[in-house]
Amino acid sequence: MTIEFTLTKRQEELRSAIGSLARNVIRPQSLGWDRAHGIPEEFLLRFTQMAASMGGTAGAWGVQGLGATGEEASESAEKKKKSGGAMVSTVVAAEELATGDPALLLCLPGPGLGGPPVRGSGTPEQRERFFSVFKDMSAGLKWGAYALTEPGAGSDVAGIRTSCRKEGREWVLNGRKCYITNGARASWNVVFATIDPSLGRAGHRAFVVEKGTPGFSVGKIEDKMGLRASETAELVLEDCRVPEENLLGGEEKYQTKEGFLTAMKTFDNTRPLVAAMAIGIGRAAYEHAVDFVKERYVLSRPIPRYAAIAERLARVGRDLAAARILTLRAAWLADREIANAKEASMAKAAGGQAAIKACMEAIEICGAHGAVAEDQQLLEKWFRDIKVYDIFEGTGQIQRIVISKRLMPDLRSF
Amino acid sequence: MIDFEPTEEQALMVTAVSQLASKLRERIRQTERDHGLPAELRLAAFEMGLGGGVAVPESHGGAGLGLVTAVLLDETLAVGDPAAPFALGGPGALAGALHELGTPAQASEWLGKLSSADRCGAVAWSEPRAHATRAGFCTTATRSGDDWVLSGVKAFVLNADRADAFVVFAQVDEAAGWAGIGAFIVERAATGLTVGERKVTLGLDAVGAFDLKLDGVKVGPAARLAGGEDFCRSALRFFVKEALKVSARAVGLSQAAFDASLEYVTNRRAFGKPIGHFQAVAFTLADRAMDLEAARHMVRRSASLWDAAATGAASERDALLASAQAVSMSLEGAMRAGDDAVQLHGGAGFMRDYPVEKYMRDAKQLGLCSMTKEQADQLGAAVALGVALDPAVVLPTPDLQAVFT
Ligand SMILES: Cc1cc2nc3c(=O)[nH]c(=O)nc-3n(C[C@H](O)[C@H](O)[C@H](O)COP(=O)(O)OP(=O)(O)OC[C@H]3O[C@@H](n4cnc5c(N)ncnc54)[C@H](O)[C@@H]3O)c2cc1C
Repeated sequence: MTIEFTLTKRQEELRSAIGSLARNVIRPQSLGWDRAHGIPEEFLLRFTQMAASMGGTAGAWGVQGLGATGEEASESAEKKKKSGGAMVSTVVAAEELATGDPALLLCLPGPGLGGPPVRGSGTPEQRERFFSVFKDMSAGLKWGAYALTEPGAGSDVAGIRTSCRKEGREWVLNGRKCYITNGARASWNVVFATIDPSLGRAGHRAFVVEKGTPGFSVGKIEDKMGLRASETAELVLEDCRVPEENLLGGEEKYQTKEGFLTAMKTFDNTRPLVAAMAIGIGRAAYEHAVDFVKERYVLSRPIPRYAAIAERLARVGRDLAAARILTLRAAWLADREIANAKEASMAKAAGGQAAIKACMEAIEICGAHGAVAEDQQLLEKWFRDIKVYDIFEGTGQIQRIVISKRLMPDLRSF
Repeated sequence: MIDFEPTEEQALMVTAVSQLASKLRERIRQTERDHGLPAELRLAAFEMGLGGGVAVPESHGGAGLGLVTAVLLDETLAVGDPAAPFALGGPGALAGALHELGTPAQASEWLGKLSSADRCGAVAWSEPRAHATRAGFCTTATRSGDDWVLSGVKAFVLNADRADAFVVFAQVDEAAGWAGIGAFIVERAATGLTVGERKVTLGLDAVGAFDLKLDGVKVGPAARLAGGEDFCRSALRFFVKEALKVSARAVGLSQAAFDASLEYVTNRRAFGKPIGHFQAVAFTLADRAMDLEAARHMVRRSASLWDAAATGAASERDALLASAQAVSMSLEGAMRAGDDAVQLHGGAGFMRDYPVEKYMRDAKQLGLCSMTKEQADQLGAAVALGVALDPAVVLPTPDLQAVFT
């Protein structure tokens, strides 16, 4: 125990390897992916293989929960000390990778956001069954997804209306889910539904709904402002018949408020990760602006005068650094298995905010060049990509509600 | 490895200082009225090792506990009273100046001499105005045989009334601008040295700010602080480390303001419920909590980078950049914390029955005590852009003013 902020040698190597890959291999392709609304499968396959060959566990690649198979769920204390902490490595790697292209992380094959609830609440049999889907992707890439949001309920998770009722050995689901990342391509979606909306959270049930289940279909694929390479789908459940073995955790799990808690537990672990991704995009924009100022002001003018721009740049760098340390702290707490809901929300809120500011400032500092010039179009893309980081996985306001509740324990709700 | 947890030894010291801080908190108004700490608390602080030399290496007569320990202790003490870390006995800011600018022998000698709860050191950097026709200080140091003669006026010298010795910055080479500055140890008793009237200040009343007049003050060759290989670089190191300590105090202040706010909004009721249960109030609190956490760990991280840089395990560039960001963040955060604390208290916040109006005044003053956040931002940008660190921009030159303890 001692206050220090240097990465382990292993983490540093990983960071620099991922960083150079992100900037030299991924970034040059990212505008094309944006325009094509997707990342070619052969690239995703090659990328996944490369990650494995570099010896990084999926966790260390910043894809824990987004691409992990769920096997490396927990490290021993001994291993943790040596590795510098799996979650710390994850956020470090995720930031680097996002400097290349943020959508890539969302597109990686694997259980995605569906991983944590299956890992956390699934029975051993369910974990085996649903994760085994991802063991062999030689015949084609496979994804999992997480379907909570509905047209009528996003932030207000307790207000979902998708219904479920038991009929014999099956559950019958009815409703619509929207904005589901990888929802259409997913081999299975973790779908949240309610047995009775008046029960609130206690009425929630989580199901693993497999592709091809009768009554399950894909609706609209969204056309988005940014993250256009990532698929965002609407899911339709019309008398969708799910076998009872697919009720996550089995029936006894829901005697308590567990069902809802399962949904929320996902976020405590993924919020720092999403924060790290946001910081990566913000950093890319910031570094772009730094290079621009260096070239256009510092090196090309006899008497550089840029105090006002220097201050703006400094504040962007500062706010990204602030968000980064909050993110590292949330990750460090997670590695030590200390409750981190408040810190995870701080990281997420600060990360989204700082990165949005970074992209806006960068585009203003670079002026027209930032919005139109051919060589600057990444800036324009990052500006579009970043906004959603203050929306998904809980908006900035929702993060503040989480923080407020931790600060004032008898606060009910707003 | 990333680790946020203090060592056991640090944790023990923090616990002890925290108890002292509680006592300071009880007497926060008395300290303010008396323009100084109660003598027994000053003694208690000195006996805990607070007094300026915490981070100075043993080779230079300090405790050698590192900058992380120093910022932990300053933060903890400032929770009790943000003014207290400025009003302690011992060498104070002079310790850091001697560490960066003096030889081990000079530093050891003066840290030893000032090592008492009743003694005090001060740093005289600022001046009433910038020189009209050239860069550098108006105060000059000219040769007289082997000796030096100092003439001029220094401004905003904190603790000048109590100080037994000063580090005085002066122009050694008038033609060389900021590259021509130097520093000297001047004893209180020196002929020609006078301390002006105490200024009436906005906040931090426990410590006084004074003009220091030097009218042909003669010092011997041993009084000159050579400043290592690059004087301005050494001065910058001194400033930045000092600014980190002030930032730690800003974090302590933010914590105190936050604690007071949280308590108030939990108990004060309006429209049938605690005001904290209104979203506008709660979100304000949540934002301050975020600022506070970020600033706290940024300051600690910066300190840890300086400690690592001392052994070559981190680069000075990284330490400078992290520090610039931490200083900017914590000074701005403290101002917001003070302002919001008063706001969330409503009319009561304006009254001296509550401590929050003092936190708000102290926060403003803290932001002017070493680097300002504007200077920190200029430094941060200069490091990020990789431009040469021009002393006129990255040091708090007299146009910009800095005061020290
Ligand atoms: C690209 C993308 C990918 C996504 N991927 C997924 C996914 O994979 N799975 C999934 O389930 N969902 C996903 N979502 C949905 C996302 O989680 C929701 O959009 C988000 O939680 C916000 O919910 P909402 O859109 O219904 O907004 P609303 O909840 O309607 O919020 C609208 C506004 O009101 C504010 N607000 C709401 N309640 C309060 C309150 N109590 N106090 C103060 N302010 C409040 C919000 O902060 C927001 O500003 C995705 C969204 C996007 C854009």
